[in-house]
Amino acid sequence: MLFFYKRLLPFKQVFKWLSHSPKVTKDFTMREFAFEFRTGAYQRYNSYGSVDEFKQSVINANPTRFEVGAVYAVNPKERKNLPKTAMKPESKELVFDIDLTDYDDIRTCCQKTDICKKCWKFIRVGSKVMDAALRDDFGFKHMVWVFSGRRGAHCWISDPRVRQMNEVTRKSIIDYMDVLASKQSKLSSKKPLLVKRPLHPHVERSLEILSEEFVEIILNDQDPWFTAPDTASDAKSWTQIEELLSFLPDNKLQQELRSKWKSSSGISTSRDKWEDINVVAKSVLKSTAQANQLLDARKDIIIYYMYPRLDVEVSRQVIHLLKSPFCIHPGTGNVCVPFDPTQNISGNSQDDSYGFNPMTAPNLRILQKELDSWEQNSPSNDSDKKLADYERTSLKPYVEYFSKFVNDMITDELQGISKRAREEDLSF
Amino acid sequence: MFRQPKRRTAGRKNFDLPQIYHEQSYKSRLSMYDQPPLLEVTLEEFELWAIDRLKVLIEIESCVARTKTIKQTEAAIKPLLLKYLPLSPATASNQAIVDAERKKDYYSHFILRLVFCRNEELRKKFVKNESILFRIRYAQLQPKEQQEFVDSLNDKLSWTYISSEEKRAIVDKLYAATGAAIRTVLMADSPDTATMTNEQIKQRIATHENFIKLPFEKVPNLTSSRSVFIQAGYAYIPTTMQLSLLAVDFQENLSQMLIRTFQSLPRLEEDDRLLPLLNNLSQNFSSYQYDAAQYGEAKSDINAISITKPAITRHYPLCASHVQKNLVANSHLKYDARSQLSLFLKGIGLSVDEALKFWADQFTKGASGITMDTFNKNYRYNIRHDYGLEGGRINKRPWDCARILQMTTPRSSSGQYHGCPYKTFSADVLTHNLQELGITDQHEINGVIDQVANNEYTHACTRVFELTHKNELKGTKAEEEMHISHPNLYFDRSRQLERAATEKS
Repeated sequence: MLFFYKRLLPFKQVFKWLSHSPKVTKDFTMREFAFEFRTGAYQRYNSYGSVDEFKQSVINANPTRFEVGAVYAVNPKERKNLPKTAMKPESKELVFDIDLTDYDDIRTCCQKTDICKKCWKFIRVGSKVMDAALRDDFGFKHMVWVFSGRRGAHCWISDPRVRQMNEVTRKSIIDYMDVLASKQSKLSSKKPLLVKRPLHPHVERSLEILSEEFVEIILNDQDPWFTAPDTASDAKSWTQIEELLSFLPDNKLQQELRSKWKSSSGISTSRDKWEDINVVAKSVLKSTAQANQLLDARKDIIIYYMYPRLDVEVSRQVIHLLKSPFCIHPGTGNVCVPFDPTQNISGNSQDDSYGFNPMTAPNLRILQKELDSWEQNSPSNDSDKKLADYERTSLKPYVEYFSKFVNDMITDELQGISKRAREEDLSF
Repeated sequence: MFRQPKRRTAGRKNFDLPQIYHEQSYKSRLSMYDQPPLLEVTLEEFELWAIDRLKVLIEIESCVARTKTIKQTEAAIKPLLLKYLPLSPATASNQAIVDAERKKDYYSHFILRLVFCRNEELRKKFVKNESILFRIRYAQLQPKEQQEFVDSLNDKLSWTYISSEEKRAIVDKLYAATGAAIRTVLMADSPDTATMTNEQIKQRIATHENFIKLPFEKVPNLTSSRSVFIQAGYAYIPTTMQLSLLAVDFQENLSQMLIRTFQSLPRLEEDDRLLPLLNNLSQNFSSYQYDAAQYGEAKSDINAISITKPAITRHYPLCASHVQKNLVANSHLKYDARSQLSLFLKGIGLSVDEALKFWADQFTKGASGITMDTFNKNYRYNIRHDYGLEGGRINKRPWDCARILQMTTPRSSSGQYHGCPYKTFSADVLTHNLQELGITDQHEINGVIDQVANNEYTHACTRVFELTHKNELKGTKAEEEMHISHPNLYFDRSRQLERAATEKS
């Protein structure tokens, strides 16, 4: 762990990202950092005056991970000398957290903390949906997706407008995004539809994105409604099938399908069943109104199974702490690398279809090996080529991606500042 | 009939008017009430105007209690508004009347701010009712006046309307986001629009609706519910929703101002003319004040024995029957619940002697192992205290709902049963209790549960009263549909209805 902090973790980039400037600003010095130690101890309210102090402190403390909190009105480390009321959180990035454990009822490939390439696709499509909404609807520009190290992803949004938002506004964005908030009430109360019609443009667009991948992710990969008589997996499939049926509008249609599937003696995949719905519906549903209801129901099903499931608490609170990018996940040894949801940056062509492949993400052990082998293979006279250590490992593309993101953000930030300054000049 | 204003105050100024100050001109019939009034009014006007406005607000409150729609509420308060707070449209000839009316409206609003800024509950109520009044009045304005009103607020609101080109470009999305809401609003105005096709709604969006574009941060509610179209950080709000935007502004502004009023209220403390007036007014509104003496007669059937019998207990509101049930079951009650029940019983006409008998009977009869000695030592004082016979000798009044709702949450694990059951019960337990009261219709139960979910506990209780007294209430005057704000009111009305029913037959 220590070698990672000393040699690989790109403190400079993380610092610039949090400072919103190449220089030290209040956004960095008044920012809370928290350490978690191997013993389970948790140390809050650390703050640092410079990037070197920050790095040195992390190296000295050698925590299992460090978390990023809010920017306060006063210096967090001096909070004991100040009245409680002075510790007001002033700004923070808006964060979204998607966690695959929330998908356990629909995942058939893995459960709990396990993940694989198949279920990562939920995150991939989820991040697409979120990205579109955050950019197009809310007009945010500077957001970065970060692998959480095990089974989820975080999205950090750094636009100045976002950082200033109070909790009411944050909550309103979360509610806007959290289309499945009514998921629980839908299941208990059997409302006819999950989302109201006509579909809100955000839901409509999300549906388009999800529909493109529905066949691949749900019908092929997850195959939750797969049944083969007399196998162990049947029980879970049938609860899933009952849930699927509960979405359908017509009682008769539900019954017909149920008896058809119950009586089938062979293997029946989700894809077969999805097609069955249409086939049976043709004979059962008479009016176009009913057919439209079914169409709406099918849309609901797609949204229900694939729309990103958000952990809202993380996003709502300004003071909430979240693991910093480039930390190590203590359980897996994976580096929490930023990734690009639209394209693969690992350089490994096998990962192209995943955007980001959590199974081959940079890992502490691998990085150590890479560093060691580089040192053995390259003669010491190579030192004239001033390479940073991370550039000798598979961490390189991720740091570069992050650097580019941070630099773009800072360029905009500085433009914003000089623009404001100009406007102020004009007013005199 | 009319008392002359007191002359001695006429020549005295209590404050200096700023030199630059001129009497506000009331440009519109509606006001955001953002400038405090600065001119003098007589005490009589002060009181009269406040009472007149109060009458309107009380009617609104009672309409809300009966879950009337805004349209029904409007119909109910229209005659009151004409009588007490008329606001005529300005014409060339009636300038003086118009000014006087608007002045009364303006001043009465600010007087009531003083009255209702005292505590959280009053503030909430006031803000709610004033906002409804604001909505109703806004709806009564001519479209031209509405436009003028919005224009007059322009500096503060910074609304920009989108051009028709921009609107045309995104009309489909505007329809998808706000079509349903526009349809609802249209339907409320004229039911025949219910049959409008989607295309017609879209057409209407293209031709009639003016959309405002503003940063989505301004409308967190509309963002949360995904009820407006949002693009590039701007929310697009149609004309039909602008009222709610105004109302939100009005509401937020008023709640803030009430707190500021409250903070500066101590400056009034020295004024012995206003304070009693204000206190009196706030009590009038906050709740029905129960006065035992008023109901002294015809209570002869209330005694230690009868109050344990269904003939009496079936008139109990849920809070009282819940506490008494637990008293009977456990032969004991803790302090909070004891005070709550004891004062309620006092309110229904139980004399102190009968009360002592009742409590002693209950405490000593069973499992708790309390002897008559212990009762006399530990609890007798307490009961007598409630009747004003011990200690400070204050003749205590039965608690009203507001008082009961302020109590801490009872922990039944440690034997606490006080408080308002609508607030403290879980939905399941409440449903069970409602069924025991004879409310079996699932739809009706859900109605009550919904009100509870909105924290409208007294409304839920009122609803329960109406449901359990359906037969008796049939054919009685609308006046009977009073909002229940006091457990004893529940009891008395229930008994009155019963008496009326027996007299009839």
